[in-house]
Order: sequence, then C-alpha cells, then structure tokens
Amino acid sequence: MALRRVDVGPVDDFADGEVRRVEVEGRGLAIVRQGNAWYALRDICPHQGARLSDGRVGGTALARHPGDEVVLGRAGEILSCPWHGWEYDVRTGRSLCDPEKVRVRTYPVLVEGRRVLVELG
Amino acid sequence: MSQTEYAVQVASSTAFSLIDCDVHNYPNSIDDLMPYLSARWQAYVRQSGFSGPPGPTYPKGFAQAARRDAWPPSGLRPGGDPDFARTQLLDAWDIDIAVLNPLYGMTAVHNLDFANALMRAVNEWTAHAWLDHDPRWRGSIVVNANDPAAAAAEIKRVAADPRFVQALLLVRSSAPYGKRQFRPIFAAACEVGLPVGIHFGGSGQPITACGWPSYYIEDHTAMAQAFEAQVISLVCEGVFCEFPELRVALVEGGFAWLPGLMWRLDKNYRGLRSEVPWLEKRPSEYIREHCRSTTQPMEEPDDPQHLLQIIDMIGCEDFLMFATDYPHWDFDSPARALPPAIDGAMRQRIMVDNAEAFYGFAAR
Repeated sequence: MALRRVDVGPVDDFADGEVRRVEVEGRGLAIVRQGNAWYALRDICPHQGARLSDGRVGGTALARHPGDEVVLGRAGEILSCPWHGWEYDVRTGRSLCDPEKVRVRTYPVLVEGRRVLVELG
Repeated sequence: MSQTEYAVQVASSTAFSLIDCDVHNYPNSIDDLMPYLSARWQAYVRQSGFSGPPGPTYPKGFAQAARRDAWPPSGLRPGGDPDFARTQLLDAWDIDIAVLNPLYGMTAVHNLDFANALMRAVNEWTAHAWLDHDPRWRGSIVVNANDPAAAAAEIKRVAADPRFVQALLLVRSSAPYGKRQFRPIFAAACEVGLPVGIHFGGSGQPITACGWPSYYIEDHTAMAQAFEAQVISLVCEGVFCEFPELRVALVEGGFAWLPGLMWRLDKNYRGLRSEVPWLEKRPSEYIREHCRSTTQPMEEPDDPQHLLQIIDMIGCEDFLMFATDYPHWDFDSPARALPPAIDGAMRQRIMVDNAEAFYGFAAR
C-alpha cells in the first residue's frame, strides 16, 4: 500500500522540545519536535489509553550501578505518559520499561516548504 | 479521539452504570478551610503561618501526585476545582456516584485540638464545596485517629448528613487499628450505620516494617504491608467480634496479597487460637464477611487469567469495588483497568453492584 503523506500544519505551530497533538483522519498523533528532528507517535498509551500528548518530553535518569552518580541523559528523546509515567523513546516508540512488548506506533515525519508532513501507513 | 470513546459497557441490572469508590478532593490552601475554623483557630493560622499538614515523606513521581492532565485551567490544584473534576471525571466517564476521600493529613498535626478543628473544617468544606456542587459526589468523614473520642464524636455529628457514606482512616497509623484505643471509632461507625474506609497513606511510624526505604517506588509498593498489618490486627484483636455489624473498605491497597494472608492467618489460627480465643471462626471468614477492597491500583499480572485466579482465591465474589483514584497519577481508567477476561456478571459486580450494596446507594 502506498504511503500517504498528510499535512499536519506549519513548522511554526510546533514549539521546539515539546509535544503537541494533531488529529488526522480520526486518529490522534503526538508530534514531537527537537529542532530539525521530528517524530510522530500514536497518541494513545497502550497501557490504559491516556493521551501521550498530555505527557512530558524530556530525558531519563541514567546510572549503571547502584551508587553511581545518577545523571539525566537522553535529553529530549523520551516522552512519558501523563498518567502512569511510562516512558517511550520518541524515535522508536519503544518503552523503556519493556521495549519488546510495550510499544507505541511511530510514523515518519518530513518537512517540506515549512510544512510538517506525516507518512501514514 | 477522546477518552470517552472507551465508554464502559456493562450489562446493568440497576439504574447505575459506574460507581467510583475513590476520588480525591483537596483544599487549594488553608484559605478554603478558614470559613470553617473558629475565631481562635483562624487567629492561630494567621499568627503561625500554618499552611497545611506536612507534605508527603517521599517526593512523588508527579507534582501533587496528579495526572499531568488533571491540572485545571482555572489555576486551582488537581482535585481542587469541582467544576473541572465534574467534567474530567464524572461527565467524561458517565459516573453515577463517586466517593470523595479527602487526604488531609491532620494526624500529622500534633496539637490535638488544632487537628480536631481541622478535621471538622475539612468535613464542613467537603459538604459545602463538593457535596452541594453535584449530587453524584458522596463524602467520607475524615477523622483524627490520634484522638479516637473526638473522632467518634465527629462521625456521629457528620453522619446526620446522608451524603457522607463512610468514616475515613489512613492505613499508616500510629498503632494497628485493632488496638483497643481505637474502639470508639468503630463503635461510632456502627452506631450510625456507616462503614469505615481505610485508605492508602498516613504517617506516624517508619513506613515499612523494617524502617525507612529510599524511594517512592518502595513507598508506593510497600503500602500493601500496612494494609496487611491492619487486616491482621482488626481480626486478631476481635474488632469484628465486638462489632458484628462493622464493615471495612480497604481503599487503594490492592488485593492480590489477600489469599496468602488468609492462608497464613488461618493456618496459624489452628495452633495459636488460644491467644485470641474470642475468634469463633477462621480469620479468613471474618475478612470475607466484613471487608471489601477497591480495585485501584489494579494488579496487572502478565497473564490476566491470574487475576481471575486471585479473585477466586479470595473466595468472595462481592469483594472488589472499582475505583479510579482521580486525580492521582496512578489513576485507573474505567475502560481499561479491568482486563477483558473480567467480563459479564463479574465485571458488573466490580463496576457497580458491590459498591452499591456495600455503601447502600439507592438508585435514583
């Protein structure tokens, strides 16, 4: 099936480092902008159905061993659910808690002529 | 797409379609309570700068422990805006009745007279700010467990308002609730015909049986051991023997731990019965007869069939009552919290019937 590119708005509608919901053909998408990098995820947490676009874009705490300094890493790569805090990698839709089983569908995003286009499968 | 698209479908034998047994309303500040304090305590608040009981011991995963989408546009705090709560909870999910459990930590206020004044103020505020706001709200009578006589008097005073449906205790108490010092609270509840809810939270002792852990994840998970301690205490101290009419709701404590507790307690009863000779039947029978549990935070085993097995092991089909815990971050969605494996009559009992019977809600 051919990919369909859907225009979800002008680039300037999306603040850098934040998530915003758009609705396309009856389905909600969470659009995340990191400078010139763009991500689109299905806007439903697979756990209990919250809108991920009400969540927070940020990093996550990293430490390899107990007692290591805990540092904030992966800045801007993580979208966390507004309800139970489940974290998702915005690039892949995979959760950090269970990457194989708990995943959110992602969609490619392009920018052409300062318009944001999402490729729907 | 909206959350309401998941509207729960349950075959209803009553006029109700959904009852929520655990919702939280909060004063936005001490100013909300000031109209319900006497001149003496108003002056005390102004003079001392008291802004509220101490906050949680462990910083939560979310500000105010709230869903990120539960902050009202009005600028009030989550659970502090009745209009927004009505829209986001009652209307969005078509909830017929929601029980409000104010978590105002007056037991952390050591001045008993002031704590009792706050207790009474919270109950007055709940009645005026919330119960008058929408007929779907029901109230819980908050009581100061550190002063059981005052708590009993407050239960009797507030119970005259039929919109209050239970007395509310916090599970982490200064001593187990089966201890004789707490009897006046249970006596009062039975006298006015209301159940006692025991809810997640509280203060007064290290929060686990082996001291203070480090993290909120431990705080939240280990709450179950406080519920276990209270259930064991209530049974063994003979509270249910002394008050055959007493009914207890275990609120926000989970339920998967119950079968193991019942087995262990029943086994020990065989050999150690002489320590607690007032018990006339096995401990598990008192639990099934007198206790109920709310569902949230829902246990989520990988295999949902295991939940059905747990419910079967509890051995009482009336035991579970649905709750969302709105506006907290660990909110359970009415549409998604129960796995599809819980269906038909069992789903109807959990979402509606068990709470309707336990609290005596009358269909409109």
